[in-house]
Amino acid sequence: MPEQLELFFIFLRSSALAVGGLASLPLLRADLVPQYVNDAAIVQALAIGRLGPGPNGLYIVSLGYLVAGWTGALYALVGASLAPLAILPATSLARRWLLSRWFGGLVRGVALGTGGLLLATGVSIVNAGGTQWWQLALVVMTVVVTVNGRLHPAVSIVIGGAVGLTLGR
Amino acid sequence: MRELARAWFDVSTQSFGGGTSTLFMIRRVLVDRWGWITPREFTESWALCQLSPGIHLVALAGLLGRQIAGPRGVLVSVIGLMVPAAIITAILTAGFGQIAQHPLTLAALAGIAPVSGGMAIGLALTTAGAVMQRGRLAIVDVAVIGTAFIFLTASSQLTIAVILAAGIFGALFLGRKRPTSSDAPVS
Repeated sequence: MPEQLELFFIFLRSSALAVGGLASLPLLRADLVPQYVNDAAIVQALAIGRLGPGPNGLYIVSLGYLVAGWTGALYALVGASLAPLAILPATSLARRWLLSRWFGGLVRGVALGTGGLLLATGVSIVNAGGTQWWQLALVVMTVVVTVNGRLHPAVSIVIGGAVGLTLGR
Repeated sequence: MRELARAWFDVSTQSFGGGTSTLFMIRRVLVDRWGWITPREFTESWALCQLSPGIHLVALAGLLGRQIAGPRGVLVSVIGLMVPAAIITAILTAGFGQIAQHPLTLAALAGIAPVSGGMAIGLALTTAGAVMQRGRLAIVDVAVIGTAFIFLTASSQLTIAVILAAGIFGALFLGRKRPTSSDAPVS
């Protein structure tokens, strides 16, 4: 039971301390790898999260499933659903406070810090997955299309899978 | 209430491919199809959601649900957005587990891994780029990003400390304006 509770709090905390769905990735990776899963599971979860319906942040449910089956998926779902709802009492009680200069600065600081953490996580995933020339070419392509934002993210996953099938055997 | 649940079920099951398509579907269903929310209310709510922790679209579902039908609307909207998509995601994961160790799957994953890493790096650039200052002040922002990068590279146990430190630093020195709907990534 303590382990189950710990797992739930890992998912809840990762969502509560992240600004944005995928921003929880560095926190989850720090808590789950290698104790519960390896980097391959992170890659699987990210891919399924991109291919499935709903918000990007639902990769957390896939990761929860890989950690502890349907129970893990449920913990991840509840954790990811509860944290963002903090905005509801905040908008009711302190809308003016949310618009304050210092709060805007706090959100900016967290966003910048999260940017650095995501960068480090991305580099770690690339290193763990392999650094052959075609894999590095895929990294560059994906960075460009992600920043550009015009190509559907699922297309990048399909292209990566196809290139892997061709060159990765 | 049944119509509200149905509307979120449609969004949850039909918005494949991530946050942008989900946001588009929410607007199309709640604003264009049902007219429960005005375009201005939708934009204002989305801007406020940039301040929420976790998945912004969940916060948006909560805010819009409350506006449409009060506390019960929050419950119906968040469950309607998350549960059907989560079930599909878990089933996809379970199905993938059946073929996870097949040589062809491993080969495909060798290509998907760099794509996942590239997405994280691209998201890092868009997340930071959305809130970065222009001109000489950008050096401070780059320093925050670089410091976070160095600390996480040194030890993954420092993640929470880095986020808290960046938040405190931001509150003290980076107060400029809150992010708006037009300059934040969708998640």
